[in-house]
Amino acid sequence: MNIRRGVRGWLGFSKTGTYSSPFKTPPFLSTLECSGCGRLFPPDRIHTYCPDCQSPLLARYDLKAARRKLDRDAFRFRRIGMWRWFELLPVVDPKRIVSLGEGDCSLLRLVHINRELGLRHVFVKDESTNPTGTFKARGLSAAVSKANELGIAKVIVPTAGNAGGAMAAYAARAGMEALVYFPKDAPRANVQESRMAGAQIVLIDGLITDAAGMAGEKGRREGWFDLSTFKEPYRVEGKKIMGYELAEAFNWDLPEVIIYPTGGGTGLVGMWKAFAEMEALGWLNYGHKPRMVAVQAAGCAPVVRAFDAGAAFCDFWTDAQTIASGLRVPKSFADQLILKDIRESRGIALAVSDEDILRAQHRLCQEEGIFPAPESAATLAALEELVRRRWVDRDERIVLFNTGSGLKYLDQSTEAA
Amino acid sequence: MNEKILCIEDNPDNMLLIQRVLQARQYQIIEAANGLDGLKLAEDPEIKMILLDINLPDVDGYEIARRLRTDLNHREQRIPIIAITANALKGDAEKALEAGCDVYMAKPINIHELWARLEFFLPSENA
Repeated sequence: MNIRRGVRGWLGFSKTGTYSSPFKTPPFLSTLECSGCGRLFPPDRIHTYCPDCQSPLLARYDLKAARRKLDRDAFRFRRIGMWRWFELLPVVDPKRIVSLGEGDCSLLRLVHINRELGLRHVFVKDESTNPTGTFKARGLSAAVSKANELGIAKVIVPTAGNAGGAMAAYAARAGMEALVYFPKDAPRANVQESRMAGAQIVLIDGLITDAAGMAGEKGRREGWFDLSTFKEPYRVEGKKIMGYELAEAFNWDLPEVIIYPTGGGTGLVGMWKAFAEMEALGWLNYGHKPRMVAVQAAGCAPVVRAFDAGAAFCDFWTDAQTIASGLRVPKSFADQLILKDIRESRGIALAVSDEDILRAQHRLCQEEGIFPAPESAATLAALEELVRRRWVDRDERIVLFNTGSGLKYLDQSTEAA
Repeated sequence: MNEKILCIEDNPDNMLLIQRVLQARQYQIIEAANGLDGLKLAEDPEIKMILLDINLPDVDGYEIARRLRTDLNHREQRIPIIAITANALKGDAEKALEAGCDVYMAKPINIHELWARLEFFLPSENA
């Protein structure tokens, strides 16, 4: 693997051009732990996934020390963005942070759909305002920053679309080489933005799982560091900050239900991890945590099938087809974690049809002025179903995730209109 | 337990990993480094399950699966075949299942999942 010196990152610009950290304490990152066998790894070296059992690694923090030193209410006075949670993120040296201003996206209360569904408190966490237009910016900012700190020079990712665009952008900012494997029918915007950011592009006749196989092989052969979902430990750390932001926005009293589109599952696993961390930090006012709803497309619903069957792992979903390209994931590398977290939260996994996704996309746009990605529209379609099933109560606080802007899917939206 | 499992895999690193995984659960592993050797070894009536790499140097895993299904047809018990592949192309999972494999797993193989699959097909006596 090629090693390079990292670039200067975020924060602390002074008139003289020197950099200084605004943070008094270093991050509380203590170790990496295998989610399968529990083996521990030092976080100051390059890691992928567990070499013993091949499960994802998760970053662990010294939360006892953090509890003593951190004041949850002080974070809101820092400069906005994901990195204001620096002490709970994995980059040790703030100069190595690679940021484009991600995080602190709006939490919008729905105005009309609330009423029509007979609910009082439905919100959308609108991640489309992130750099590159999707929530992928969070994970890739964290992963590229840590790669930068560890001296990695070449990064590779297989993607259904948005992660490729985000990785290309952050790699460009960090001065790294980037290589992206897309399915050949990935949204044109993703391929174009990656190209514009200087990434090498490979279009393959297959799905993201096929791209993952090829990217992994290429990475091993030529020394590219693989930033695939859960095949390195840090993307999930960026995503988990969505959970911290939610808690802060709800004044440390978490909402009752979170409805989340689930492809690779990083956001769902990340938020559940954040809630556990906040519990250990003593930051939550009440003991309850949200019920997590994983939404998939009916044409590719491995998590739903495994959840319904009571299985611990997903079977590979054959012949995956859906307009929501981010949900076209036949099997996530972290399927075990996703299923465990849904069950722990007393949540549910739900599949919705492409027709319902498109209808919900129009509804969100026409009634609320939010133009969501198809994946995100699936969360509204799922909520409609949960209302029919009486699985949600009218007074519960429910958060839908708009993981990306519909503007990145104009081909699909135009075709469907 | 000591059930015999045939592993048809040409990559020595992957073979070593699978060997470690199976032995940790007291399965007995029979190794074949290519498809044709695998077909011969599969004739052993004590083989209870087959782990089959798709990218083999001589005959591809789909063809091996098809031949295994034909050759092993006479057995009273259906022998489970788990297809394992690293470098997949579109439709590979579908092709593997159509060829007669019971499960399709992409590398890297999660060991806990592999154990769960083995336990499903070959339940231990005290389960």
